Amino acid sequence: MAWYDEDSWATAAFAPKGSTIAATFLLAVLLPILLHQFIYRKVTPTSLPSFLLIGPSGGGKTAFLTLTERKAVAQTHTSTAPLAVEVLLPEDHTPQSSHYRSLGDPAYERSRRFQLNDTPGHGKLRQFATNQLANPTNVRGIIFIVDAASVAEEAGLNESAEYLHDVLLALQKRYTGATTSKGPKEIPVLIAANKLDLFTALPPHLVAQQLEKAISDVRKSRAKGLKDSGPALDGEDDSLDEEREWLGEGGEGSFEFAQMEEVGITVTVQGGNVIGGDGADVKSWYEWIAAQL
Amino acid sequence: MTTHWRIQHGRGRCTSGLIRVQAVYQSLVHMTWIDKLLDDIRTLFVGLYGEQLKSKHSSVVNCDKFAPYFERKLQDLEGQSDSGFSATGTKLTPPSSTDNESADESAPAIPSLQKQQKPLYDTSADSTPVPTPDTSRPSTPAQSHLLAGKAGPGAKLSRRNKKKFAASTSAPVSSGDEASVKRKGKGSTKKNRVWGDFGAEEEDPSVVLDYSQSDLRDEASEGEALAEIDPESWGSRTGKGQFVLKDLDMEMDQIIAEQNAKQAPTSAASGGGLVGSSLGAIGGLFRNVVGGKTLTEEDLAKPLKGMEDHLLKKNVAREAAVRLCDSVKRDLVGLKTSSFTTVEATIRTSMEKALTKILTPTSSLDLLREVQTVNAAGRPYVLSIVGVNGVGKSTNLSKIAFFLLQNHHRVLIAAADTFRSGAVEQLRVHVRNLQELSKREGGQVDLFEKGYGKDAANIAADAVTHAAKTDFNVVLIDTAGRRHNDQRLMSSLEKFGKLAKPDKILMVGEALVGSDAVAQARNFNQSFGPGRGLDGFVISKCDTVGDMVGTLVSMVHATGIPVVFLGVGQHYADLRGLNVGSVCRLLMS
Repeated sequence: MAWYDEDSWATAAFAPKGSTIAATFLLAVLLPILLHQFIYRKVTPTSLPSFLLIGPSGGGKTAFLTLTERKAVAQTHTSTAPLAVEVLLPEDHTPQSSHYRSLGDPAYERSRRFQLNDTPGHGKLRQFATNQLANPTNVRGIIFIVDAASVAEEAGLNESAEYLHDVLLALQKRYTGATTSKGPKEIPVLIAANKLDLFTALPPHLVAQQLEKAISDVRKSRAKGLKDSGPALDGEDDSLDEEREWLGEGGEGSFEFAQMEEVGITVTVQGGNVIGGDGADVKSWYEWIAAQL
Repeated sequence: MTTHWRIQHGRGRCTSGLIRVQAVYQSLVHMTWIDKLLDDIRTLFVGLYGEQLKSKHSSVVNCDKFAPYFERKLQDLEGQSDSGFSATGTKLTPPSSTDNESADESAPAIPSLQKQQKPLYDTSADSTPVPTPDTSRPSTPAQSHLLAGKAGPGAKLSRRNKKKFAASTSAPVSSGDEASVKRKGKGSTKKNRVWGDFGAEEEDPSVVLDYSQSDLRDEASEGEALAEIDPESWGSRTGKGQFVLKDLDMEMDQIIAEQNAKQAPTSAASGGGLVGSSLGAIGGLFRNVVGGKTLTEEDLAKPLKGMEDHLLKKNVAREAAVRLCDSVKRDLVGLKTSSFTTVEATIRTSMEKALTKILTPTSSLDLLREVQTVNAAGRPYVLSIVGVNGVGKSTNLSKIAFFLLQNHHRVLIAAADTFRSGAVEQLRVHVRNLQELSKREGGQVDLFEKGYGKDAANIAADAVTHAAKTDFNVVLIDTAGRRHNDQRLMSSLEKFGKLAKPDKILMVGEALVGSDAVAQARNFNQSFGPGRGLDGFVISKCDTVGDMVGTLVSMVHATGIPVVFLGVGQHYADLRGLNVGSVCRLLMS
């Protein structure tokens, strides 16, 4: 039976038969539903907006994470692996995007949910953080936690400043290296001055000043430093001065956090303490997080 | 002191969380059961909390209830090792979870019991106790009897006591069900007596003062609780018809048996028939291409061997290569490969990670900042260089001097090689060249020499004092080359370190060296006596080896000391900082 015969399926498909109508009807009704189901399933596991916890070891990153997750500080140890935890913004803070929502709205609950990514701060293990910086998907902000008491000393200040310098430089590179004219999504940075309950801790504005000064020094010594071994080892000719990037306005003069706004990085400094005699005081950090959500 | 470590990757490496059961026991006698204890505890832990470990994006693992399990297991095994007789004794007695720290912790063992207890505990915690007869007295005598042993705070009964207790309880144990039935009747008939101004008031249903008892009087919830009491969950009947209360022991055994049963099919499946095995092989191949394969040690063995050979070809010392492969294996066993990733690719990425970790310095290696800090303290910065013969100590010293001169430092070079003919003259040539160069660049350089045959340590110390007097801010000390396994030559280094007190001691190693790198690095690191070691490596002649830069890894692996500089050419300017990424790339290419 050829396809053009009267009883063939091709003819039947165009004939006004009951079965044809039923099949067409079913197809017309079910296809969108199935398609919807399929796409819905695919899209549903959207990843949460996440915040990256970065900072030198001993700053209080994991403590802040446990505080946010459990509402109580757990005893923490030096992290050796990154940790991602799904948390809920505390009740007394409203996410920026949900100011108009009523409290009973399920979308309100959803908008309060976010993910905190803890990274180890030990010098050898910073690759976890830098890898995430190179390709930040869904990162709404970076929280650089620094020990406000250790910043008062030379060694602690230098370590924090160097790390912060590297983080900001990576973010700047991401901005300047973008191929689209629009530029990548802005990632704000919060410098969370932790341990303000300690007697020796510097107040937040002084922490900012000290860090700015130290980053200027880091930038200066990096400019004078040796070239990187990369091109030489790869057998390329590195006698040509490779294009090196400097943090802030061409790397000249003293560094200020305000210079970073040019490349789409807003730096905020807020104080707080995760552990303390009068309990934790991290409201300003949560406020900042709420403003980014 | 015996230290046993067991590391288990949570089954399936769900959270990649390591369950680390660490047991440190101090004992004079050798304990044979430690291994068994660790195995059992590990299985127990996974069995009890596997679900919690698998949950993503959470750091909370609630294992407060683990302590009694551990205690019990420990006790059991201790009992077994004591003597055969006592071991059977403990087995026969049905210890009704009496030796637990508190009744609360035995919750998983007797869920139904705990449900009944709850109201009681609530009343005691409530701040508004009402002196009704109902609350002041335990609701059922039978229940209180069961609880008697547990209630004692920290009631750790000795084994004999336990037996006695078990004997006393063995008779009424089976009356658990009756007790609860009795209790039900009581609960429903008893009413709160409310006291008014004129004696007992008959009825005032609107005011219920005793809030704590509300759930007790709730008929529905009580019925539910009763329905849930299943004799099976309490315990089991022995062969003689005795009803044995279920306790931690039994539950523990059950969990362990379940876990073992889960593991058994996987091992059994591998030993299936011909068809099964060939299908498995095809499936394995498919999985290998598509990904989603759970890695076992056998899967990894061959690719890892290949990886090890690859590293050896890259001039990594055998010791370092083996250790790296081991760390990769530890990292990967139990992991599921991601989609469209072969085992080899997974190993590659893991190895790259391991290499990055090993090569990344712990702290910053900014020489200029260090010089600045030390000079701020009002003394010259002292840097000395050691190494075996002919690796390029003097050359690299001059390169570092050139780098410092470029940054306008005043550098004094001390010729502390008083042994080899021509060593001082060689340095003099370098200094002359550098002086010419520094005329243009700025900075100042001079040579401090005392001729041949003198003691190197004294010359170095003199150089430092001279530099402090004549306002040099950096002193670079060149030393004689020495074979690292010659005790006589190496011993003089200790004195050198003490007299000259260098801020930084760098060891020069050549990239060509091969597997001797490990021994060189180790011996030089130890030669400065206790409390002082090397601060970094300079790897010279990197331009001559192409991509075989394994020496870096060998040296860092042996000592954990970072590579500070790389020599990449014959000119003064051919000194580079380390780029971890590019070295990893070369090693993996």
